Amino acid sequence: MHAFEAQDIRKSYGGVHALRGVGLAVRPGSVHALLGENGAGKSTLVKIMTGVTRPDSGVLRLDGRDVAFANTAEAAASGVAVVSQELSLFPHLSLLSNLFPMREPRKGLLIDTREMLRRAEPILEQLGVDAKPSVLVEDLSLADRQLVEIAKALVTQPRVLLLDEPTSALEGGATERLLEILRVLRSRDVGVVFVSHILQEVMSVCDEVTVLRDGEMALSADPIAHHTVPTLVKAMIGDKVVATETVARADVEDLAGSAEGVLQVTGLSLASGVHDVDLTARPGEIVGLVGLAGSGPTDVLRALAGIVRPTAGTVTLPGGRPAPKGQRAHVAAGVAYVSGDRRRYGLMLEKPIWENMVQVRSMGMARDGLVMRKASLIERAQGHVERVGIKVGSIADDVSSLSGGNQQKVVMAKWLDNAPSVLLLDDPTRGVDVGARAEIHGLLRGASNGGAVVLMCSTDLEEVVAACDRVVVFYRGRAVAELEGERITTQTMLELINTGVPEEATA
Amino acid sequence: MKGTLMSPRVKADEPSASPPSAPTRSTLPSFLTSGLNIRALTGADWFSALAALLLLVAVIGLMNPAFFSTTQLINVVQQSVYIALMAAGIAFLLTQGEVDLSVAGNYVLTGIVASLLIQGGMNTWLAAAIALLCAVGVGAFNALIVQGIGINSLIATLAMGWVLRGLAAAVSEGKQIIGMPVSDPFFAILGGGKVLGLPVSVWILIIVVALLTVVLRATPFGYRSREIGSNPDAAAFAGIPVNRNKTYGFLLSGGLAGLAGLLGLAFFTSGDPTSGGGFELFAVAGAVIGGNPLTGGIATIFGAAIGAILLKTVGVGLVYFSIPAVWSQFATGAIIILAVSLNGLMARRKARRKKT
Repeated sequence: MHAFEAQDIRKSYGGVHALRGVGLAVRPGSVHALLGENGAGKSTLVKIMTGVTRPDSGVLRLDGRDVAFANTAEAAASGVAVVSQELSLFPHLSLLSNLFPMREPRKGLLIDTREMLRRAEPILEQLGVDAKPSVLVEDLSLADRQLVEIAKALVTQPRVLLLDEPTSALEGGATERLLEILRVLRSRDVGVVFVSHILQEVMSVCDEVTVLRDGEMALSADPIAHHTVPTLVKAMIGDKVVATETVARADVEDLAGSAEGVLQVTGLSLASGVHDVDLTARPGEIVGLVGLAGSGPTDVLRALAGIVRPTAGTVTLPGGRPAPKGQRAHVAAGVAYVSGDRRRYGLMLEKPIWENMVQVRSMGMARDGLVMRKASLIERAQGHVERVGIKVGSIADDVSSLSGGNQQKVVMAKWLDNAPSVLLLDDPTRGVDVGARAEIHGLLRGASNGGAVVLMCSTDLEEVVAACDRVVVFYRGRAVAELEGERITTQTMLELINTGVPEEATA
Repeated sequence: MKGTLMSPRVKADEPSASPPSAPTRSTLPSFLTSGLNIRALTGADWFSALAALLLLVAVIGLMNPAFFSTTQLINVVQQSVYIALMAAGIAFLLTQGEVDLSVAGNYVLTGIVASLLIQGGMNTWLAAAIALLCAVGVGAFNALIVQGIGINSLIATLAMGWVLRGLAAAVSEGKQIIGMPVSDPFFAILGGGKVLGLPVSVWILIIVVALLTVVLRATPFGYRSREIGSNPDAAAFAGIPVNRNKTYGFLLSGGLAGLAGLLGLAFFTSGDPTSGGGFELFAVAGAVIGGNPLTGGIATIFGAAIGAILLKTVGVGLVYFSIPAVWSQFATGAIIILAVSLNGLMARRKARRKKT
């Protein structure tokens, strides 16, 4: 019998079919991979299985019984626990308190901390958490917090545990640690659903695999032994491979500013742990920065954008000018920082498309005088819409009405509007579908051909392979390797970001 | 309580713990250098307010020894009871990311309602109970506006404060409600009674602070309040009934403002529609200075009370520093800005230290 089964699940959001009859069946004591591209319906299925949202139709079965969850607490109470990508801990509370939200053991009216400790101690020990239960979660390392998340799931004695991209928060040695955790889970006969986009990892830890594509089943509970990374990729993207080809968009060449020389980073150190990084980026090439979360690439990018101040080292902008102080001064000097977190850093969602597009140059930098001429702003924005290739009804519509890919193109447009000579991109295609992703890469190539210096971070190594000419690999705050041309492969980069040592050296 | 399992912050927050037992750091101006011992975070938060209070008392006393008399010190605490009670209630809202600025209006209205009923011949305790119920009802109304309609609590309760104060002025026709039966036990005990040398109202404050500390540290409601403020998304995700929990916070805050109003009535023996001026400022500022940041997630009831007493002491101290009466509001406001700024700078320093 399966520990947990989802059958023929359908779900649509406002006429868009997110799931069209998909299923997933987990055996107890096994690890089941759930794969799919962004937008394939993976996260919707996870949400349904954990009670965050309810399906339009379909059946959920736990140990053979039909179940329906009104919310996450109910799912947890029934034995379905989840460890989500975004840590859901309470930083101001102690480790122990964090393990029992909404299910605190009680003694009369009061909370029974002794009982909490009695239940938590064996689990913490098994997971190898050394921190004292009384320590505040905000004082724990990222890796320990991840373990606390898993411990929190385990105190409910779950039948099923969903691990939603768990390694993104685990630091170096992530895979060994993960294997150890999975060993614990297997020994407890828990059915594990493992969601990840690091395929190597999936290959090494999972027993079975289910793949979703465009809201439909592409693979259903296949033994992982029948697969290799290429066959999994094929199952995930199907026949769309052609659409991922990058075509440089010539329209934007003259939008981006032309860098007079290289961007030079010498001996850069940051408070976050980045140490002594040297880096050169030339106009006309796209440089990728990769590494595990917390290992440095994002921090370096933020330092180049003037968001964090270096503790040591120098940054020289193209043209030999030293980097100014502060974020605004960087923007004025022609540096653009495009974040993949467009809702937070990129857009004013409830404002028209045109207003978003002219925001940096006309409002932020006030380069078009003190009086805004709406007609000319709209005209300029309309030009961008065509150059950047945004599918849009009216430029007066709110940005929120656009799809994720088109929203991200608006973010690109608003920065290109300021004619940047240095373009920094942090995970620029997060949550963007494959087609739009290729188009955004085309924009980068266009800007690069136009003479801009382009640096990009991405958590998606396939994206780095597709978009970058040169890659700098980070490991524990240091730039440990540089790859170029043919040597940029997912395999090599995975190896390097996890070990810090190139293949040849370990062999 | 279960001493072995308590986190340091739990220990640190018990009002009975004497300052030195807080696992603190270096020497004297610890409220300036705080943050050295991360594990005593919350302890440090109320500890700095307490240290500042003791320092202030010492300074005033040194400049004017008359201040050191027991009667004078007890007097200051007695006068602080009203805002301290409100600050304690507000602490439960601040930690959840909400605030209640209607407490001063609620305080005034409760006094007016009770005094009018008593003036009309009702039994004092019954009148007090009805007035208290009204105060809790105001809390419910606040919750309805904030949770039900979804209005930011800052503006909703600020306006509610005006409504309540205006209502009090209208029903009292702007006049003091006098003619209270002063010898009645309600007035004799709550207003003038003493136990072991301390006024009854001070005892009530002590009991409320102790009780609410247990509620905050050891009940599901207390846990959830802190969880909601610490990570609102995670709280909702964990199935915590966020709206219900915040509603309890508003009810509690309303009830405590009502209790303060009744104690005020018992002490002053008249309902005064013009009393309680600026109490909301003192209560919120007191709570913040005492270690309840506006960003939520952290709370200390003892600290909130200490913060309120600290601000009252400043007010009393101004008299001793012979600040002209016309300047006293200016000076009080300036000192509150100074205290809150200092508090904020320290918190930021602590956060920065933690990051590196």
